[in-house]
Amino acid sequence: MIRLVTLDAYDPKVIDRLCKMLYTAFGVGCEHAGDMPLPAGQHEPFDAQELLKALPSPRAYADDKILYLTSRKLKPRSVISGDVPCSGFTNQNGPRALVSSAAVKDPEAGLKQIARHAMHQLGHTWELHHCLDPRCAMYPPWTLNYDAGDTFFETFCRDKSEQRIRLAKS
Amino acid sequence: MAETAQALTLAVGDRVVYPNQGVCRVTSVESKEVAGQTLTFVTMKREEDGAVVMVPEAKVRSIGLRKVAGRADVERVFSFLRSDSDKANLDWKQRARTNVERMSQGGLMGLAEVVKGLQVLSELRPLPTKERELYDNARHLLVAELAASLNTAEVDAEDSVDLVLFPPGRERPKRTAEEFRSAAGDEDGIELGEDLLELGGEMELGPEGEGGSGEAEAEAEVAEPAPKAKGGAKRKAEKKAPAEKKPAAEKKAADRKAAPKKPAKAEKKAAAKPEKKPAGKPAAKKSPAKPAKRK
Repeated sequence: MIRLVTLDAYDPKVIDRLCKMLYTAFGVGCEHAGDMPLPAGQHEPFDAQELLKALPSPRAYADDKILYLTSRKLKPRSVISGDVPCSGFTNQNGPRALVSSAAVKDPEAGLKQIARHAMHQLGHTWELHHCLDPRCAMYPPWTLNYDAGDTFFETFCRDKSEQRIRLAKS
Repeated sequence: MAETAQALTLAVGDRVVYPNQGVCRVTSVESKEVAGQTLTFVTMKREEDGAVVMVPEAKVRSIGLRKVAGRADVERVFSFLRSDSDKANLDWKQRARTNVERMSQGGLMGLAEVVKGLQVLSELRPLPTKERELYDNARHLLVAELAASLNTAEVDAEDSVDLVLFPPGRERPKRTAEEFRSAAGDEDGIELGEDLLELGGEMELGPEGEGGSGEAEAEAEVAEPAPKAKGGAKRKAEKKAPAEKKPAAEKKAADRKAAPKKPAKAEKKAAAKPEKKPAGKPAAKKSPAKPAKRK
């Protein structure tokens, strides 16, 4: 089950459609688990890793994935080979993921883009690595034309995510 | 790698890399009696999922167990990933053999070579399922070892690799088969030539009038490595073949006499696989085309 938690105000229709898109992509249920305030003491642009660490978890089962959605900007992450433009963050095989819709001015019009980034981060929570196919949502999200892509998983990524979901204990 | 040349002394708490399995932590080094012999076993726990593996100390070197790569190795891996040097072999058999070797004995650099090689190949054409799996395994092991080596999260290690492989704001390059051929040596050229000859042999079974131009067309098509094109050439040849298959063997023999190239090619084939084919059938029609198809 994917539990979507909003950190800012979103149109319920947009959230509903996003849930449907994620359900279609992964084949597991997705529901809006409510709103949550941003933790105090952090400022925009947020450090995604710190923000995710500071956020409390809603009630969920062991294998549920929690997706936090915010409209705030995230700071690029520094890694050994440079700065990674950040539109979301998750730990590989972790239970929680964070996605920012800051790059989308109108969430209703840019829903596909938000869903693609959400799929990417959720894919990492199911141990998917970056993909070679530019059409796939698991392609590195900082690349050119990523945002214009569809909410689509390449066959290998789809099979792997389905396998991980099947292996879930609950 | 340099580490494999050194003596590998393991102590409890050491982080090691088990080839094809990932990063493990040594949990104990103890002696046990097995079948009347006292052996020293190194017990390790895989960090990813906690799987336990016991290896006799005497076999630690031969299985390719090594310590987690150091900072210098990581630097070398990144400079390799940045370079535009590695072109995968277009011969799938050789490529598979090399990749398996790299995965088991190549160390961190071997994993990087597999990832880079397959990534560059994917810019020419989509990877087949097995190679896509191999790519994912290699990437997983590479990321896990880099994370262990740099003491960071796996997600950071993966992003640092991909930032180099897929630089921001740059289009994914489109490769041509020529790049790969020029990067591979002369040997590959010869092998590819043989494949062309095999298909050429099939084409000659077609109606007599179309023989020359059809062959040239097929060769031109096969020179492009796209599997569809090759399949198309083969299908064309097969379509033409039924009309010619029925005539007796003498006709074929007469045709072969008329074209002096073919017996030479056929002999080459027969020499390559002497035990499988009877002397009377120097060139099989269908089987030789298979390796070429899978490239």
